Amino acid sequence: MSIEVAVLGMGLYMPGYPTLERWLAGERDDSEPAATGEVLDKRSRRRASPITKALADAYGQALAQSELDAATVASVFGSALGEVDTMIGLLDQMWRQTTGLSPMKFATSVHNAAAGVVSIATKNKGFTTSLGADFDTPAMALVEGMGLMATQGQPVIVACGDEAAPSDLVGDQAGWGGLTCAIALTPADDAPADAVRLKGPFMAEPNLPPPDLPRPQALSPDAGLLDLVDSIARGRTGILRLDRGRGRGYCMEILGRP
Amino acid sequence: MLNVPGPVPITDYAVCNALGSTRPEVMQALHDGKTGLGPCDIKVPFPTSVGAVQVALPELPSELSTWTTRTAQLAMLMLGQLEPTLARLRERVRPERIAVVLGTSTAGADVTEAAYGEYVRTGALPADYNLWKHHTYGAVLHVVGALSGAKGPAWMLSTACTSSAKPLASAQRLIAADMADAAIVGGIDTLCAMTLSGFFSLDALSSKPCRPFSGERDGISIGEGGALLVLEKGGDAQGLLEAVGESSDAYHISAPHPEGSGAQAAMQRALDQAGLQPADIDHVNAHGTGTRLNDSAEAKAISSLLGNEVPVVSTKGYTGHTLGGAGATEAAISLMALSEGWIPPSLGAEPLDEKITLNIATERTHGSFKRVLSNSFAFGGNNVSVLVRGV
Repeated sequence: MSIEVAVLGMGLYMPGYPTLERWLAGERDDSEPAATGEVLDKRSRRRASPITKALADAYGQALAQSELDAATVASVFGSALGEVDTMIGLLDQMWRQTTGLSPMKFATSVHNAAAGVVSIATKNKGFTTSLGADFDTPAMALVEGMGLMATQGQPVIVACGDEAAPSDLVGDQAGWGGLTCAIALTPADDAPADAVRLKGPFMAEPNLPPPDLPRPQALSPDAGLLDLVDSIARGRTGILRLDRGRGRGYCMEILGRP
Repeated sequence: MLNVPGPVPITDYAVCNALGSTRPEVMQALHDGKTGLGPCDIKVPFPTSVGAVQVALPELPSELSTWTTRTAQLAMLMLGQLEPTLARLRERVRPERIAVVLGTSTAGADVTEAAYGEYVRTGALPADYNLWKHHTYGAVLHVVGALSGAKGPAWMLSTACTSSAKPLASAQRLIAADMADAAIVGGIDTLCAMTLSGFFSLDALSSKPCRPFSGERDGISIGEGGALLVLEKGGDAQGLLEAVGESSDAYHISAPHPEGSGAQAAMQRALDQAGLQPADIDHVNAHGTGTRLNDSAEAKAISSLLGNEVPVVSTKGYTGHTLGGAGATEAAISLMALSEGWIPPSLGAEPLDEKITLNIATERTHGSFKRVLSNSFAFGGNNVSVLVRGV
């Protein structure tokens, strides 16, 4: 069974495109600084890794657009590899035996670092989680979000992202570029009348081709969430695959406005 | 209309850790008050005790052999014990309606750690290292899906030390929302040098076996292993997953709220979901890591919500802190308490911390336990309290 939900807000950060608005306008600007993590408190921002800041930026845009209560909204963070760059830094420290490990780096190496610092910054004492499922990460983050909405009737922000492929670990496999994306959803019954409706995720035959993405981002494990967000923003409707053919085949149906 | 999660039958479970590789072995060690903590075989530049799994792990079948990691092998060992239940489940439920929701904080990090060591020494990764088959969460999910026959939604939760408690909540929601009819849940972590070194850097690692709730406690001991549980709508229950409370501290990335407010909220939410009162709880399997801060905060939370009479045990003195495997491990141990009618002593707790006013069980305690709360708390201020009921 899949429930019908409505889209309240969306966000994006990727190199060259610090906001969803800039992405949709096609305004690439490589002079843009790295992700700022603006939604985070100063202390967390100082300590946050690039992927945590990027997830926070995408989350912050979706949150602002949705006008949901930051202190109570549930959040699901998805990432195939999480804080992999931080982990590589720790392994480097450990194997080269330069010093003991950095306690701060270790504490922020956990997969739920972004979920944790966002909850701290927004003073949210409610539900947050963090998951991964390789190329099915966006689909499974949405399934987790759907389960929450179906049983609790509350809105959810789903944010997915990964850093660029860790070249030290992927060897000569094709690398991907950094990408983070977020979508704020609410059960359709409670949604504004003009909000776009979605159904899924489910296994199906897609009838909506994925949008054109720059090749590095198209290879990201999280590209499916950008495909969904981009398609919604451009008013497309139909059944869209969430894994670009590299996962198990979960799709989302964009129903459009009622 | 909301699909409020109700009790879900736990139709089978398997557990493997430093105490043993089967339920009877683990139960016997708990009964005998025997710790699984011992010397650390992993090369680290500081003294510590660990809870290592001692049994030889099974080889993955040839078609999965390139996916071999210690985590995958531990999963295979436990799935083998669950196979009679899984076989029955596959006859009753379409594979697409069986979800796999697991938790880990390490997945194949031990393999990546070794591979990176070779990279540092030689400038090249081992020829057989593959990030997608050895490191990622999806790798473990692939192996579990292939071995169990489950083809429903599958994901790995990774919220540090609550990683394998949260899948119980996710699966309960999936079943309530009619998005699945059954789920394999739980989680596994394995020992690696980076985890040991990380907790050492935080000054949270004891050099000796950990002593939760003791006045002399000085940190955690790390263990490995985990548990897998089968949840089924309408199944023949060995226990019931009644409710799961989840909360965030919104306080600090690696330290608990000193008053345990997030921990208390998680326990309260579990009670609220089940429609219960504090007096309905017969026993608490505490997170009880053995650090000064964690035990103190959790004790305040339990005391505030449940009072000081309910017997409380930390089983980390037996297994060590299995991190991403701890939530499921302790849910399994809680089910054992319900079925056996006794709880083990909280190993190493004496002399008790005088500031902790809880009823910490220091000897094996028999009773008619109907409901147990099993707590897990984690970095990021993530809190989970799992409520299980006997049948």
